[in-house]
Amino acid sequence: MGACRLMIDVMFGSLVGLLTNPQTMGLMLIAVMIGLIVGATPGIGGRLSIALAIPFVFGMDMTQGAVFLLTMHAVNGTSGQISSIMFGVPGDGDDAATTIDGYPMAKKGEAGRALGASITASGFGGIVGAIVFAVMIPVLEPVVLSFSPAEFFLLAVLGITFIAFLAGKGQIFKGIIVGLFGMMLSTVGMDPQTGTARYSGDYLFLWDGLSTITAVLAVFAIPEMIALAARGGSIASTGGEIVKVSYRQLFAGVLEVPRHWFLAVRTSIIGAIIGMVPGLGGSAAAWLCYGHAVQTSKTPERFGHGAVEGVIAPETASNAKEGGSLLPTLFFGIPGSSGMAVMMGAFLILGIQPGPAMMTQNIDLVWTLIWALVVGNLIAISFLLFITRWVALLTFVNAAMLVPFILVLVMVGVYSAEGQWENLIILLLIAAIGWGLQRYDWPRAPFVIGLVLGKIAEESLHKALGLWGIGFFTRPLSLVLIGLIAATIAYAIYSNVKGKNVMPAGAGS
Amino acid sequence: MAKTVVKGVLAAAAAMLAGTGANAQADASFFNGKTVTYIVATAPGGGYDTYGRLVAEYMQKYLPGSTFVVRNMPGAGHLIGTNALYASKPDGLTLGTFNTGLVYTQLAKHEGVRFDLTKMSWIGKAATDPRAVVVASQSPIKSWSEVTTSKEPLNFATSGPGGANFVEVLAMTSILKLPIRMLSGYNGTDDQLAMRRGEIVGTIGSRSSFDQFVANGYGRFLGQFGGSEKDIPQMADLVKGNPEAERLVRLITAQGDIARLTAAPPGVPAAQLGALRAAYRAAMEDRELQARAIKLEKPVEPLYGEDVARAIEQALNQSPEVVQLLVEGFSKGRGR
Repeated sequence: MGACRLMIDVMFGSLVGLLTNPQTMGLMLIAVMIGLIVGATPGIGGRLSIALAIPFVFGMDMTQGAVFLLTMHAVNGTSGQISSIMFGVPGDGDDAATTIDGYPMAKKGEAGRALGASITASGFGGIVGAIVFAVMIPVLEPVVLSFSPAEFFLLAVLGITFIAFLAGKGQIFKGIIVGLFGMMLSTVGMDPQTGTARYSGDYLFLWDGLSTITAVLAVFAIPEMIALAARGGSIASTGGEIVKVSYRQLFAGVLEVPRHWFLAVRTSIIGAIIGMVPGLGGSAAAWLCYGHAVQTSKTPERFGHGAVEGVIAPETASNAKEGGSLLPTLFFGIPGSSGMAVMMGAFLILGIQPGPAMMTQNIDLVWTLIWALVVGNLIAISFLLFITRWVALLTFVNAAMLVPFILVLVMVGVYSAEGQWENLIILLLIAAIGWGLQRYDWPRAPFVIGLVLGKIAEESLHKALGLWGIGFFTRPLSLVLIGLIAATIAYAIYSNVKGKNVMPAGAGS
Repeated sequence: MAKTVVKGVLAAAAAMLAGTGANAQADASFFNGKTVTYIVATAPGGGYDTYGRLVAEYMQKYLPGSTFVVRNMPGAGHLIGTNALYASKPDGLTLGTFNTGLVYTQLAKHEGVRFDLTKMSWIGKAATDPRAVVVASQSPIKSWSEVTTSKEPLNFATSGPGGANFVEVLAMTSILKLPIRMLSGYNGTDDQLAMRRGEIVGTIGSRSSFDQFVANGYGRFLGQFGGSEKDIPQMADLVKGNPEAERLVRLITAQGDIARLTAAPPGVPAAQLGALRAAYRAAMEDRELQARAIKLEKPVEPLYGEDVARAIEQALNQSPEVVQLLVEGFSKGRGR
């Protein structure tokens, strides 16, 4: 009882400490702004922004420095959705999932509603992520350690089976073909087992595999821009008349999150747990949650044509994972993502020693960081909701003015992501395929899923086979995942045979 | 022309004697108003980037009027950035840093290598980061001798063919006939997590990246390749009596001794190279830089110009047996 009381003291003491220190709050405001700007620019990841900010935190107070960097990193994903929704230009692999339904909404003139929903979902995800962080502290160790390469493999396979639902009705074979094509391209690069360069010719830049952001922009952004230029007019095709992006429309979007609160809570928790387990990566979180939203929807055929759940699910997941990935970073000293790896370097500079001792020696700092995640997300969503009204007007700008500008933005993003000009050629090649898919109404999401999850599946399968041989899947958690995969496939076949009006068992959103 | 060469040699000599920023400035006028590109052959964040940015910032301080721009060129295990550095114009305006593990890559005559490390214009190295053998604390293995005599095969994590620890574990295993089973695909901190899960017994890695892991009680060091620390047995002592193994340990030791390199392409004019080396030395002796490096837990242990060139040359001078092992380390598994 006394210990509990003490814990609550520390918990809220940290919040009061954070909110009443004007200097820390000022730094947080600056961090939110930088994080949002970096996040809105395609190609520049959060990792780079932390690396560049490190010189500025030299000499900062431990808590302030950590709060500054963490806030900057945490709100990064919040602004990436703006270009995904408005122009169909995702900022990175996670945002690509938001594009699938966000951009069709913008085309219907509902950019305001989509942005309202996605911004709120991001903030909601970030806050739930912080709560999951707090709740998981005592059980962190068993949960994280129960995910081995065998489970990674099965999670990736589970994500791949969602393709069956993403493809839309009657398109399951097209979906599988596109998904397999994505998986094939995921094998480009150095074979992790044999050291042989696959499909790379003499080009060293292909050794690390196909650049995900290049592929994503090629498949989504470029075809949309070609279509827009060919059609003329503006992104929002509402018959030439400018729909006033009112606060009412925005607010309607905000309200979509409480309307779909159960989905938002589920995808936030899934996102946070995926973030907690190092090795799966953020894109996997967004895509798994998007697939989950489609699979559990009563009307899956709306997805891809502007379903608001398709915006909420990936956005909650990608912000929730930040809280999750902070856990192993702080308590094991093992970073949960590449961004967190850079963050850990910065923590050392500030004099924070990540490890199990954090729990006993620095618990007030831990709580301050949890609160920083919550407060930082709240600042970010209020700011974005405030400016969105004007930003959304861009979807009514004439294509002739908009398209060249966005194409430049896409190319700068592709180049700056890895600093290799050769990726611009890859962009053109894959864009041709993406345009073909779009023109003949083939699904494009399975391509990205195959590309992102194919790599994880291959690497983990090799590891699991090397460690345990062919019987690797007999671990208890593996069996649960196999059950889920089997159920997903069975349900996909069932609903395809039975027609599309079947209600998923026990589903609701 | 001859005059500038003499001037450069003098500058280099003066810098070596005095080793202060004041002398460097006298011949650093070439760099006034120029932009120097510092290539980091890996992505932002992490050790190479941190050291690279630190070196660039302080070299700029000691080359008045110059502007250093750090450019990250990641890819293909530092090969892309290093190839670009090697092929850049040798005017003293392009420098860079890359993984010392490329010594292995060059020795193995790997297809991606488009450089010759012995020909580079060496500026200096900033740190000593010895390699070490580490095992999970939950494994029954307590010492190196228990590794060599284990009846059960021991799972060791490696990044994959061509990676430094893959080459090292493979070479040690085959020379000492160790009961080690190698598993690939463990990148970044995957190996630490796998040791915590218990699926992996140990690995070889740089000591600095496992210090925290060991301090947290998750692992223990069994042996270290070189370095000044005295708390861990030296691998050179542990393999004494096996000349081939001793040679291999010396090669792996060189890895750690010459860490965090700075180099320019071959053929940089002596005047510019002298000024760069002097500025590098002044940067390394800067108290502010030292204080910052210590805060990063990455203390500065510098070596300059010719000394680095000699160390690289020594490391590249290996017996055909070792070279053969390295070639295998880069191609193992092909056609399997």
